[in-house]
Amino acid sequence: MRDGPPPPPRPRPRVADLGASAQAAIPAFYAWGVTVAPAAWGKGVSPFAKGFAILGVVLVGAATLVERDRPRLARPLSVWGLAVTSVIVWLLAGPTSVAGRGDVLIGLLGALGWLLFAFASSAPPLRRQVLAPARISAGPRLRPRVEIPRFDALYVLFGVSAAIGLQAVGWRVSSPERAMLVRLVMLAAGLAVLGAATDLAVSRHAPRPLARSSRRIRRALPLVLFLAAVTVTGAVFAFVR
Amino acid sequence: MQLADVLAIVMLLVGVAAFVMGGLALSRASDLEAFYWLVVGLAGVRSSVQTMRPSNT
Repeated sequence: MRDGPPPPPRPRPRVADLGASAQAAIPAFYAWGVTVAPAAWGKGVSPFAKGFAILGVVLVGAATLVERDRPRLARPLSVWGLAVTSVIVWLLAGPTSVAGRGDVLIGLLGALGWLLFAFASSAPPLRRQVLAPARISAGPRLRPRVEIPRFDALYVLFGVSAAIGLQAVGWRVSSPERAMLVRLVMLAAGLAVLGAATDLAVSRHAPRPLARSSRRIRRALPLVLFLAAVTVTGAVFAFVR
Repeated sequence: MQLADVLAIVMLLVGVAAFVMGGLALSRASDLEAFYWLVVGLAGVRSSVQTMRPSNT
């Protein structure tokens, strides 16, 4: 039986401890999601294309796993694995693929994704700064001047999620003008929702107190009634038509 | 949490749902339907903010 102090706990892995392949995995998944997945899961595309698309993701994931033990293998596995499988998917998908359709916006987003993937794969991994601990001054932990009230993060998280979720609408529009209109309207809607969610969060601890609940409901009543009237009108219109 | 807070959250959810319906209708080129849903969405979001204004405004 060994005596002595217990071994120090193993430090938690941080992003800065990851290698280049692991850091490149995020742009890789983005580029895959924009340019490869839509081609592989398009109408009438061979199941082999789906298999190669999945293989590309698996290879990127495998590269992040083996990078710590075999760093020389990880980079080619990630870069060539994803690039070759993606080319095979596009060849199997044919002219119906994203590249073949000539969608400018998707093409630009996809090119940006591949550029980021190439840059992240070729750049050296970001290491933690060695001098950082020397800059830390000893002393009691500083207390924040202002405490962030509870649930504020939930409001903001909801607003951001809704704004991002609204961007998922309308990506299968064939006409470029209509697609641009949908994107603009959804962008404006996302900004409106994000603004409203942050307004709700901020107003909970505004310097001036909120009015009584009944008064606030009365103030919103005209819009709520308008909403009810529009909803009823729409339902009647849909029923008659 | 007061009733007005619940109303604000519900109205915001109504607004988001209406915006999604409006975007889908716009994608289908149903312009009248899209206009309807976008107006509902705007009214929902606006009424949500109205319920949370400070007392003397």
